[in-house]
Amino acid sequence: MNHGIGVDIAFLLLATLAVVTGWRVFRTDSMVRASFFLLVSFIAVGVIMILLAAEYLGVAMFFMMAVEMTVMALFMVMFMMNPAGLNPMNMVHQERIAIGAGIVGFLVLGAMALFAVFPDQPVSASLDPVKSLGNEMLGDSMLIFESAGLVLLTTMIGVVVLSCHRGRYGAAAEGSLPPGLEPGGDPAGKPEEDEEEEGGGHHHHHHHH
Amino acid sequence: MFLNELLLPVLMVTFMLTVGAYVVAVLDRLIAGAFGAPQAGSVWLAPMARGAWLMTQHANATEAPDWQAWRLAPALYLALAAIGLAVVPWSESLVATDLVTSVVLWGSVEALATVVIFLHGWSANALLPLIGGYRYVALGLSYILISMFVLIGVALPAESLQFTQVVASQEALWNVLRQPLGLPLFLIVGLGMTFWGPLNLADSADLAGGTASEISGPPRLVWDVARAAMLVAFSGVAASAFLGGWLGPWLPGPLWMAIKMLAVLLVLLLLGRLLPRIAPERCVTLMWVVLLPLSFLDLVWAGIGALL
Repeated sequence: MNHGIGVDIAFLLLATLAVVTGWRVFRTDSMVRASFFLLVSFIAVGVIMILLAAEYLGVAMFFMMAVEMTVMALFMVMFMMNPAGLNPMNMVHQERIAIGAGIVGFLVLGAMALFAVFPDQPVSASLDPVKSLGNEMLGDSMLIFESAGLVLLTTMIGVVVLSCHRGRYGAAAEGSLPPGLEPGGDPAGKPEEDEEEEGGGHHHHHHHH
Repeated sequence: MFLNELLLPVLMVTFMLTVGAYVVAVLDRLIAGAFGAPQAGSVWLAPMARGAWLMTQHANATEAPDWQAWRLAPALYLALAAIGLAVVPWSESLVATDLVTSVVLWGSVEALATVVIFLHGWSANALLPLIGGYRYVALGLSYILISMFVLIGVALPAESLQFTQVVASQEALWNVLRQPLGLPLFLIVGLGMTFWGPLNLADSADLAGGTASEISGPPRLVWDVARAAMLVAFSGVAASAFLGGWLGPWLPGPLWMAIKMLAVLLVLLLLGRLLPRIAPERCVTLMWVVLLPLSFLDLVWAGIGALL
């Protein structure tokens, strides 16, 4: 291992950044913030991959995750009851299972890092990692990668088609309206001709006479 | 090692950022003047006067913004422009970072720019910036695919993802002639990345400045400088990918590069002044229905060219 102290310092800083932003994902109350904290975490991991000489995978991580997190944030805002993604929201669910899975995952990975015997096979300096990765992905394994890509694309389109026709407030084809503020009330946020906000409530009481 | 691998590249990129942003500001004012826009004072001093004025102004605050993202977004956009400038080769050896995957790194700069510009609009917690941010995402997701196909097209004849190799592959024939669809499509990407002129959907006048409508003072200065610097970085990438970079007779390589970058900048700024802004819905339709298939065509053309 002939790398400078700079690589070690960079690794420690990036690893800390990745862990801290990964933790922030679950401590923030906004879907947009959570997505982009996750993006920062992935970028830190991508730079670590570049430090490990995986120059293509590291850089590919940047652009894939950038587009992915943008799309994710956008779709979450579109499909969830949180216009603009600014309303507070809890990012933690099923806490007991999550804590258990986290501890088990940490122990397994930690044990692998500490106790596994890693092969000591330095690659020759003339090996071009980008070229060998390309040969791997588009050589013998091309069919697997291409079919996986096609299946993923079909799944994405299918999910959007299936979930789109039901809008946030019911089927889009029937003209969706937001629910009332009280059961059976008029659509919220759509006041009648009265300027007062009590307009809907007034109408509702009138109905009971 | 410290001097050669860290200090000199950083100095080089900082120099290009500063000079480039100034050149963009001056050129844009010169073009506006040539079209008859009234000019107050000297064209050469006006950018600096505006910069100094912005430095002394108060930085505006909105009600409950996401402070971290709001203040960081302009700086991050400038940092992305710096990354773009760092991969632009000025000659075979004069390049700040000669990464073997520099074309892909430029692709990630384009993708991350979408994130940063969206965050800039989103984090202000105000209506017009938010609309600008969402408009930009629609634009950004549309141009990224076009850009990817066009860039894969220039990587094919070079058989490399490195800008120095892409330039070297144009020794016999520049990509602008070898792949005639490439440069026009890529220029649209450039206008999109910097939301300049016809593609200024994020910071447009109909949104009273869009994502920038709530910022003033030093953050505004950083935002404006970053946009100009991004335009310069894009020109450098376009000149390397399509106009043969440092290649050219008689003159030294870096000088050719500067001339070609200036030419691309001039075209972009002229387009910015000549073309009207496109409505967001039309823009997205145009991108996906017309320009994306054209970029497929460009890639098929490049692929056939590489096979022959």
